[in-house]
Amino acid sequence: VMEGRCAVETWAEFGFSGSSCTAKIKSGRVKINPSLRYVDLLQAILQLPGPVTDLVESHDKQFLYVSCTEGVYCVSKPSVLSSSSGDASLAPAELKISSECLVVGEEGVLSLLLLGSVLLLLSQRDTFWILSLYKTTKQAHCGSYEKVSAFSLPAVSAVVQGDTEGRTGVRRRPVLICVHSGDTNASYSSCTSLSEAISSDTHFCLEPLLFKLLFGIDAALAKLPVILCGLPDGRLCFLPMHLPGSRLRVLHSLEQTVMFVGASVVMEMGAGHSQCLVALGEQGRLVLIKTVSGGAEEGCYTAGFIEGCVPGPVVCGLLDKQHLYYSTGADLLSLYLPAGLSWTEDQDRDEETSSKTLAVVQSVSSLNVCRVIALAAPAHRSASDVELLGLSVRGQIQRISFPVETEDTGVPKLPSIHVGCSVRDLLSSIGDVCERASELKAAIKSKNQILKRLNQVLNISFLLIPSANTEEHLSVSEKQIKCSAMIEWSRLLQRDSLNLMCVLHNSSPYTFEQGWTLSITVFPFPHSLTNAGGENSSTSFSFPFHDLQPGETLEVSLPLAAAGDTSFPMRVSCSLIFSLSSLLGEEAALHFSASQSSFISLPLNTLTVDWLHALRLNSPNKKNATSQSNSIPAECIQAFLRSHRTHGCVGRAGAGGESASKAEQERYSASVRVSSHLLRDTLVLKCSDSDPQGPKVAPQNLCLSLLHWLWSEGAGGVMMGHQREKMALSHSVINARGPNGDIVKLTAKEVKSTGKEESLSAIEVRIESSSLAAVCGLHHAVLPRMLLSIIMQLYVFSFLLSCQRLLQEIRQSRLSGAFDVGVSTGQMTRSLLNVYTELRENPLLII
Amino acid sequence: MRRHTSLLNTWLQENNELVNKWKRDGGGDIERRDRNPIHLRRCCSEFHKLYRKMQGIPPLADHAYLELFVVYNACVCATAQSQFREVELLLKQALQRALQIAEDNSDPPLFWRGVLKSVRNTALNPCVLYLLCLQWAIWLATCQLETILELKEELSSLCETLCGGVGNDTKIGAMPSENPLLVTDPRRLVELLRICTCIVQSAERLSEGQSSETLADLQSASSLPAPRTLVAYVHFLSGYCLVHMRRPHMALQCYRKALEIDFYCVCALYQSMLIYRQLGNVQAEIQALRLLHSSLMLPSAPDPILPDTHPLYPSLLLCSQSLRNLLSIPSALSVLHTLALKCLRNGRVSEGVEHYLDLLAVLRSEDPDGIRVHADAAPLSRLPEIYLEAGVALLMASRPEDCMVVCDEVISTTLELLPERLVLEEPEDRSKADPRDVSSEGEDKMAMLLWVGAAYLLQGHCHLYLKDWKQAVTHYSRCINLLVKVQYKKKGCQPQIPTSNMVVKQDTNLCILQRLKGLSLAGRGVSFAQTDQLREALRDLLLGLQALPECVGAGLWCGEVLWRLGRRQEAAACWEKTWTLTTQSSVENLPVYLQESQSGPSLDSADLRRKVQELALN
Repeated sequence: VMEGRCAVETWAEFGFSGSSCTAKIKSGRVKINPSLRYVDLLQAILQLPGPVTDLVESHDKQFLYVSCTEGVYCVSKPSVLSSSSGDASLAPAELKISSECLVVGEEGVLSLLLLGSVLLLLSQRDTFWILSLYKTTKQAHCGSYEKVSAFSLPAVSAVVQGDTEGRTGVRRRPVLICVHSGDTNASYSSCTSLSEAISSDTHFCLEPLLFKLLFGIDAALAKLPVILCGLPDGRLCFLPMHLPGSRLRVLHSLEQTVMFVGASVVMEMGAGHSQCLVALGEQGRLVLIKTVSGGAEEGCYTAGFIEGCVPGPVVCGLLDKQHLYYSTGADLLSLYLPAGLSWTEDQDRDEETSSKTLAVVQSVSSLNVCRVIALAAPAHRSASDVELLGLSVRGQIQRISFPVETEDTGVPKLPSIHVGCSVRDLLSSIGDVCERASELKAAIKSKNQILKRLNQVLNISFLLIPSANTEEHLSVSEKQIKCSAMIEWSRLLQRDSLNLMCVLHNSSPYTFEQGWTLSITVFPFPHSLTNAGGENSSTSFSFPFHDLQPGETLEVSLPLAAAGDTSFPMRVSCSLIFSLSSLLGEEAALHFSASQSSFISLPLNTLTVDWLHALRLNSPNKKNATSQSNSIPAECIQAFLRSHRTHGCVGRAGAGGESASKAEQERYSASVRVSSHLLRDTLVLKCSDSDPQGPKVAPQNLCLSLLHWLWSEGAGGVMMGHQREKMALSHSVINARGPNGDIVKLTAKEVKSTGKEESLSAIEVRIESSSLAAVCGLHHAVLPRMLLSIIMQLYVFSFLLSCQRLLQEIRQSRLSGAFDVGVSTGQMTRSLLNVYTELRENPLLII
Repeated sequence: MRRHTSLLNTWLQENNELVNKWKRDGGGDIERRDRNPIHLRRCCSEFHKLYRKMQGIPPLADHAYLELFVVYNACVCATAQSQFREVELLLKQALQRALQIAEDNSDPPLFWRGVLKSVRNTALNPCVLYLLCLQWAIWLATCQLETILELKEELSSLCETLCGGVGNDTKIGAMPSENPLLVTDPRRLVELLRICTCIVQSAERLSEGQSSETLADLQSASSLPAPRTLVAYVHFLSGYCLVHMRRPHMALQCYRKALEIDFYCVCALYQSMLIYRQLGNVQAEIQALRLLHSSLMLPSAPDPILPDTHPLYPSLLLCSQSLRNLLSIPSALSVLHTLALKCLRNGRVSEGVEHYLDLLAVLRSEDPDGIRVHADAAPLSRLPEIYLEAGVALLMASRPEDCMVVCDEVISTTLELLPERLVLEEPEDRSKADPRDVSSEGEDKMAMLLWVGAAYLLQGHCHLYLKDWKQAVTHYSRCINLLVKVQYKKKGCQPQIPTSNMVVKQDTNLCILQRLKGLSLAGRGVSFAQTDQLREALRDLLLGLQALPECVGAGLWCGEVLWRLGRRQEAAACWEKTWTLTTQSSVENLPVYLQESQSGPSLDSADLRRKVQELALN
């Protein structure tokens, strides 16, 4: 039977779901206190030193007893309220409860009950359940309370208890209630306090006959209250208070964790005393305890235990006159109790529980309120509506109201106002469910999204991770994802700088989504003698990007070097970095990979920027254009100084080179010779599309195109800037400036090589400069280009090898100089010059 | 433990593998051994490694053999390599381990003895003695009295050294600046331990019945310096010894001394009360009960505070079960009940009534002071019985209205639960069970029926007292109607209405039933007699006499009715017969509410005798 006409209204909300339940207390830790008893508007928040297990309010509403792991704290309510009343309109004050308020220092207290001036604590210690009685005092802070007596009951390590506690790790709170005999008359000493107490849901007035049957004549005669506790092992135990020699005795066993014990009126015939004791287990076992007349021939009453089963799991429960409300976490259910009772009276006892169980189950109706973890009856209730207070998992206190269920639930005949009301209720409950559903949907969607993105990432990773079988065949140009670069000089704020424009090509079928970063690391060549820690001077640039579709490119530009920087050739290493935090969110990623880093780094290719890339053409018009009043004298002075130094130091020793004699300045030079025949073939092959002249290229043209090719063609994955390509070379001489401003001259001319065999026509590329570093660097830059693009697939003369060896030697000496391994400057210079001499004697010839 | 054994197994395997490997590789072969020193060295180091691993766990006897075997193997290998120094070191270590194992299993007294012997005459001696004090405290707190006895000599010398030796004291105190401070003075501790040990030992011995030896010990202990609570205990225990030696008066002296020293020694008061009861001194017993009750109602005794804020309080050390049994006292409520009953039975009716009213008030109050009970306290008698006793007391104190209210309460509480019919079975031989145990439901129902019956009877008595004959007849009739529901079932027979000749002494329920029946019939008979319904009166009185032949009132009234009916001979015979009856001692054991009421209309015995004499003369 669907009775979905239930309105839910949120009264108060706690900041986080781990809060305890009365509107006045918040436990400091994660533990949720599943009792909901005294609800006022949110007035104060108390912060206790440990997880709260239970709390009760004194009968005069002056004190609040809170049990924690260390014991029971007593909080005086007026003092709390006065300290927090200053800003009632604002958020409630948060008060820390110190250990001064500790009134009972007993560990492991799970449940509390206040009976008159006696405070009862139920705790579990080792293998015993211990019920301790403490005498309370009126003063709030008077040290610890006096222990009156204690009763113990051996704990049963039942299977039920074992698996629930083992699984959750949470100690179940036993249920502790007090039952009074119904015919309380004026002779009872504390009648007023009792009548107040009975209104709460821990004190019940039971019909006298049932009371006598269950708890004995003695308790009934002296009108003694009886403590009833439902233990997590399923036992219902009772203890008559104030009776010497009494002890905890077992009334019944539910065989599953007792979640709720209460008393209900059920039938409207007595004097308002409850006629039925109800106990509800965690898995839904329900026991109704009521008086049963024991047949005609005996004519006396016995206590009847009627067992049934309702759909579980039961989280909390509440009884009103005829209904049992309980929450399964997913729904709030209502059970009409008389239905369960009348059945067993009609039927024979011989028939077994299956049909009985069925009968109870059928009368359960849903109220469509989910995630309720504690229930309480409100202080005031109206006649027509049932009103409940619930605490949701999220820490909201909700008022749940719905009309009183009528006896004939078959056809509800409602007035039109009620229909509208019920429609509204229905809509609100639909909204509630919808909200929950959409939350779940969103969660699933985001997970799917993450999976999809992770798939992309994985695909890209597989492309980039060099695996033994595929990557060997793929050269850089064949890679689907690669980085290329373009180099350009730019002038900004009167400072020249060399910029590298890096381009990431995505020719793979996958898209780069969020979380990717292009990381470019520049390793300058450990060049300078003074800069010993050359390796450490690498600089990294990272460019986060997202949404790079297949076929798209990403261009980034970064400053490579300023004018005057000569640490060439530079190695530019590109890699792609993926961070998990973009996928999972910051904190999730932190949790996910606390031990290892949450980044995946995938290396791309490595580029080289050499001297040739860094040359600037020394055209006259450009010189005029850029000439400033102060730049020319500076250059002149520099040239002058340099010439002076050259004269003084290395002048005589470095005097060499065929063209050195005619220059007034000492110049160094190096040359490479290539067979013009070979060169012609290669250059024709290379420039066939651009050059209309095609095969018949004059030697002059050949020199020109060689220089042009050297000048503008990219190498090592690095392209030349645009302005260079446009520049037309008219002569076979390039006057350029190196990055540090040295004048460099590149000449190409046709020479007749006089080798051991017949003479060969060859093109000589000569590099001349006054700077040794420039000559070496350029020579080093020119050679690999030639080797790579021209000769590699052809043949190499043996002396090429010796040339390589010489180069190696140069490098060696420079490196050793850089690392300062006991080589004096003079020594190094000498070895360098030796190499040069050798180079001059065996001019490089590439055929 | 399982892990431990598995570890042991692993090591055993490892050792055996090493040995096997050694043999397989021809290590034992003399010719090849010379050629293979590397193999030998490796083997040696493997054994060493294994040995070092085994030293990781504490030395225990169950794996010691393996350890020593491994040592043997390692030594063989090392000796073969002429590493004599290493072997010697290894052997020394192994022996130390073995010694440790051997000592570890020795019992604590031997261990302590060894320690004491080795540190004697060294500077460490006093410190070790202090530690021994704590060991003593632990033995005492865990009731290991045998161990304490075993080390008796050492402990007594410890006492002498710490308490007696003044020179020792100066030696310790010579350098106060350099001596570390102690939480508590060891001398105080020793004193406490001595007296506590004495108390616990005496309690143990007393529970075994060795009174005379214990007394001597206790008397010597009474002179020891100790907190007053403990001295009071010593006196109390001496008194207990004397009771067992059948010297109650001396015991009373001891108890008095104990109370003088420490008023909170309530157990002494309780035991004195028991002695008075034994001696038959009712007045003293009542006095003692009164004192006992008032002292129990005092706020609980504070734990004796020792002079120098001793952290080890005596109750920590006195945890022997037999001592606890000796010191146990009934709860205040049951003392009050005993007091009230005693008063009632001994003619102090008004006092008894007061006590009963107090008792009922405490039972109904929520005040936790009144119900300060230990969970293992002796149970009070059933509440309805107490109510009925209170009712009788009220009736005896000429307060019939109050009596009726109390009885009404019993009736209203119980009546609903009464069965229509009840079968009382012949009791089988079984030990007397705790009445509070829900033994058999039938028995509980029987008790309830008897309570209600008694309540009706008392109400009848009240009406009789008030000369409301009609009401009296009504209530007596109710009682009778209730009682005839009970059928008595003998083994193998059909249930039947019980008769007086069925009453067996030990079956109190049946006895009570018959007594109730007799008393109520007699009461109704008297009521009928007062309303001049002599025929009915005679019938009831005769039936009453049949049910309870020893009922004096019924006999006398039966004669009176016969006399009024003109059957004077029979009347005289009846009277004569009644006068010969002697009140049996069994009445004493019966509940007070089942005794014959003296409150109804009475017959003057002298008058009756005169009548008989006149008849005889005529």
